[in-house]
Amino acid sequence: MTPQDITKLIVRTSMKDRAAFDLLYRQTSAKLFGVCLRVLNDRADAEEALQEVFVKIWTKADRFAVSDLSPISWLVAIARNHAIDRIRARRQAPLAIDEALEVADPGPGPEAAAVAGGEAERIHGCLEELEKDKAAAVRGAYLKGESYNELADRHGVPLNTMRTWLRRSLLKLRECLER
Amino acid sequence: MTLAQDNGPERGGDDLVAAEYVLGVLPADERRQASARIDGEPGFARMVDQWEVHFAPLAAAYPEIEAPASVKPAIDRRLFSGTATSSAPSAQGSAGLWASLAFWRGLATAAVAALAIYIAVPYINPPAQLPQERMVASLAADGSDVKYMAMYDAGSGQIGLSHVSGERATGRDFELWMIEGSNAPVSMGVIPVGSTIHIDVDQAMRDKLAAGAVLAVSLEPTGGSPTGQPTGPVVAAGDLRDI
Repeated sequence: MTPQDITKLIVRTSMKDRAAFDLLYRQTSAKLFGVCLRVLNDRADAEEALQEVFVKIWTKADRFAVSDLSPISWLVAIARNHAIDRIRARRQAPLAIDEALEVADPGPGPEAAAVAGGEAERIHGCLEELEKDKAAAVRGAYLKGESYNELADRHGVPLNTMRTWLRRSLLKLRECLER
Repeated sequence: MTLAQDNGPERGGDDLVAAEYVLGVLPADERRQASARIDGEPGFARMVDQWEVHFAPLAAAYPEIEAPASVKPAIDRRLFSGTATSSAPSAQGSAGLWASLAFWRGLATAAVAALAIYIAVPYINPPAQLPQERMVASLAADGSDVKYMAMYDAGSGQIGLSHVSGERATGRDFELWMIEGSNAPVSMGVIPVGSTIHIDVDQAMRDKLAAGAVLAVSLEPTGGSPTGQPTGPVVAAGDLRDI
């Protein structure tokens, strides 16, 4: 499926076309489930989240028109934000489980480089300009939806320090991205 | 640590919050605040959207994992309980679309960035069950809080009118007008009270609408203009555009 195909499916979904919605689910649910599972780290929770994500997609498909995101990125953003809202709502994230399942922080990876092209190199290039641990914190936060609390625990620094660090990193990123 | 302390008035305070929101690091309460701002502040929503665009390439690292087969039927039950689980777009038809509050709300949002819609237009390929020609108009005017969204469906020859905001004064009615080029406004009737209303359009008017007319709403005495022309102020107006 090309991005244009996914766009068509989203627009048709906004017109309450269920056949288009079914096809959109078939084409994108594996990616969005991957997002939910990575953030939530719990299968049952991720399945529940995926349901809610597609309910949102059905009801909010018309908003796609006002976003600059590519269609798949727009869908991923809905799934990511929903999964993060869900994990924030948990009283205490299961850190121990998270650590147990921890794999190496995924870097760009061949897939990313191949698929995403120029824009991708920009964010990856800009992350390269940060110190290694700062870049890892940004990547980890994005992919796993880690909170300031969790990041501070993992890096063994006070919450305020963590927030200052990360905000500085974000300012540097912005400066680089706007260059 | 509050956001106010941290941001100060310097440039980019909001932009940093937008970045933190997208990154996902904010605690639950600050996330909720940011989320409310996305819905209420178009400027902030744009900042969030830009950060989503910046970070989006990182999402390539998420693996694709097949969801269990039970998930899709569960979604369908949530969305369409009471209807068959298989796809039946024709059963939904335009009635479902007219009645969908989310659709109208979304249109109101979308109207702000009509340009973006035009970008999407070339990709739209409506399914055979839906009428081919639809036009929308966002009706509003300076100095008036009256807003309507209008959607003209050439297939059914109906205008769907969704009341977005603004109350009519007691003893007054809203009347809908079609204005084609420099011709005098033609009344399409008094707008009934209600959140979503359908108005039938006669054949002569359909052709004019298809050519892209302006719709306007004026404030009139109860029962509509006594003269056949608008007598009160125009409280909302807008062009019909293709979608």
